[in-house]
Amino acid sequence: MPQKKTVQLPMNRVEGDLEVRLDISDGMVTDAWCSGIMYRGFENILIGRGPLDGLVITPRICGICGTAHLMAAAQALEMISDVVVPPEAIRLRNLALMVEKIQSDMRHGFLFFTPDFVNPRYKDEPLFEEAVRRYTPFKGETVIQVIEHTKKIIEIIAIIGGQWPHSSYMVPGGVTAAPSSGELLQCRYLLKRFKDWYERRILGCSLERWFQVKSASDLDHWLEEEKSHRDSELGFYIRFARRIGLDKIGQGHGNFISFGLFESIRCAAATTGQATGDSRPAGFAQGDLILELNPENITEHVSHSWFTDQPGGQHPFDSDTRPYATGQESQKYSWAKAPRYNNLPAETGPLAEAIISGDPLVKSLLQRNGPNVMLRELARLIRSAELIAGMELCLMRTPEDAVFYQPPGPIPDGRGFGLLDATRGALSHWVIIEDGKIKRYQIITPTAWNASPRDANGTRGPCEEALIGTKVQDISNPVEVGHVIRSFDACLFCTVHVIDLS
Amino acid sequence: MTTSLYWMHCGGCGGDTISFLNAESPDIIELFDIMDIELLWHPSLSNGSHLHHQALVDRMVSGEQSLDILCVEGAVIRGPSGTGMYDTFLGKPKKDLVANLAKRAQFVIAVGTCASFGGVAGVGEVEGTGLQFSKRQKGGFLGQDFLAAGGLPVINLPGCPCHPDVLLAMIMAIGSEKSIPLTKNNSPVEWYGMLVHQGCTRNEYHEYRVEEEGFGERGCLFFHLGCHGPLAYGPCNKTLWNKRNSKTRVGVPCFGCTQPDFPQPYPFFETRNIEGIPLELPDGIDRAHYMAYKGLAAAAAPQRLKQRKTIV
Repeated sequence: MPQKKTVQLPMNRVEGDLEVRLDISDGMVTDAWCSGIMYRGFENILIGRGPLDGLVITPRICGICGTAHLMAAAQALEMISDVVVPPEAIRLRNLALMVEKIQSDMRHGFLFFTPDFVNPRYKDEPLFEEAVRRYTPFKGETVIQVIEHTKKIIEIIAIIGGQWPHSSYMVPGGVTAAPSSGELLQCRYLLKRFKDWYERRILGCSLERWFQVKSASDLDHWLEEEKSHRDSELGFYIRFARRIGLDKIGQGHGNFISFGLFESIRCAAATTGQATGDSRPAGFAQGDLILELNPENITEHVSHSWFTDQPGGQHPFDSDTRPYATGQESQKYSWAKAPRYNNLPAETGPLAEAIISGDPLVKSLLQRNGPNVMLRELARLIRSAELIAGMELCLMRTPEDAVFYQPPGPIPDGRGFGLLDATRGALSHWVIIEDGKIKRYQIITPTAWNASPRDANGTRGPCEEALIGTKVQDISNPVEVGHVIRSFDACLFCTVHVIDLS
Repeated sequence: MTTSLYWMHCGGCGGDTISFLNAESPDIIELFDIMDIELLWHPSLSNGSHLHHQALVDRMVSGEQSLDILCVEGAVIRGPSGTGMYDTFLGKPKKDLVANLAKRAQFVIAVGTCASFGGVAGVGEVEGTGLQFSKRQKGGFLGQDFLAAGGLPVINLPGCPCHPDVLLAMIMAIGSEKSIPLTKNNSPVEWYGMLVHQGCTRNEYHEYRVEEEGFGERGCLFFHLGCHGPLAYGPCNKTLWNKRNSKTRVGVPCFGCTQPDFPQPYPFFETRNIEGIPLELPDGIDRAHYMAYKGLAAAAAPQRLKQRKTIV
């Protein structure tokens, strides 16, 4: 008889509630089940409410990505109203969304992810002391600086939208106010201040130098080139992550989905009058194959979720949310549904975004080692470079006397959706308005994609799949599992139930 | 003297924590340092092992580890059917842990509207409730007679999210052993004794009843766009958000997120009215007098306001 031991491990430093149950044999994860363990019933709260109410209610789904929910909610209503949003309003929205992503990426990286580097598991590593100096919660030098600089850049959202988190300044047709030229100058100052810090502390070089790094060998060269590169947060992260083998774990299915980034192409077009080559398209990638996104191919499965059964996968316009708690006994094990594209699971987030937009560095690193924990987090840490450049573009022209709101009139009956990449990846809102009220509101969050349970075909979700094969040295301290889960920036608190079958 | 603090997440969005990270003067790191706060655990920020956390919880529940401040973020989830299984911790309803820790804490702080009154979670099928209120009804999860060991009921710090300065001030007040006078909703008078309306840059438009009818205009948001500024208690226009701004200043109506009945059952962005006068008047005002006053005020409005020349 194999000796079976059950350990319950509450994981901290993720957003929300998640339990992961693992089968471990001979110190290796052989199977995994991700369970969302909190149900809040947001979609049903919205049914029967006024058409605009999603703008107030849905940002409150998530304290850290409310801007993205607000934008998706506004976009869905704009599709129903068929209103054309003025470019200046799009620019302000994009600016706010980019700020939200930057603060979240930095906070995730250095408050949630790298604190694992000071785990006692690594106490004999040569870089351990340095990691402790940087990443110890509330005391580490990097932690203190990240808190200081992220709250400062967020002031840009407050200037545009009144406050962060949880405002509702994006409305169908635009935004509720345009900042004055003085306020926009302050936004430029806040951005410049953040950029200086990001270059100095995170990159150890200028953005211009960083953008020349276009391949895996460029990255190796960059790391060797200057001491400031090696000692920067990025440089240290890469050295530590390689040292402990994060480039060899957490592979996953290799399917990726992105809904595109902050409409940067529209933003750029609005600013310069021409499209630029750095747009972030929506797409689905499988290996080297990148397909244009077709929203019709998105479905949600509930075969393993605590909801009333529906056959196969349902398109979000057709699916309901009817909780059906069976307890732990049946095959159902999560409050998360299982979103699928072409009936396949897909990973989403900064890595997916970079792959689908054809980022040459990420593509090259992917060819070298395939998807892995180190690359997933690297894509997150370097995304800010692109975002800063995008924000500069947005702020380049001051929209004095600009039109920032196009009244859509009362929202007519109809159906619409809003798709965009939030901080953690593909976010979608699917709204049906009937008789002047919300008839149906379905939301698919990025973490629903990443931390989804199995589907009707029995296929694991991306995070579950990525855990397979992970070696766990000490099941009472399974920090390796933490690396994999946190690399997805799961917006859930998680508890890991480890079953040792060896 | 060291003050110990344990932070729990229940049925919420994490927004109060994220907002707390935006605190300034002091920021959270300075706060813990200056006030000698021992943060026993915060689920988003702490780095201890699961075994350390489990042992800590056991020690707090048994009373071996003293607990000065219990911060609860999010509503207490009781569904389905009172089981609490919509929100669990280690396979058990999280509400049980809330009850056990509340018994031990010197002070219990409800951080945000969900923990105070139920908030968004209080209107859905999850049967969410505030710690000591369910919407306007006293009682909530812990019962109306609950007093923490320090002698106060649950200190409600509503707001969606809770304003970081308010939470900072409460932790500092407790650490400094200051008295904390409370409103009828058990919120500190110092922060919830004023209306969101006070300090709004649109006040003059309100005074002379120059109304905003669509988004993006210069005018008062109270008469058509559903603004709760004159109804809701909170410091939003005195202690600005992110040290910068407030919703009403950028033309977003106050949604009354500090109020026990947030979110309201009727549509946002609309003002329910009787013959053009809002159904809900500024707190404590008599309708007949208000109608007469607003009629006169509108007649007295200066041209610069009627023409919306005064910026907001």
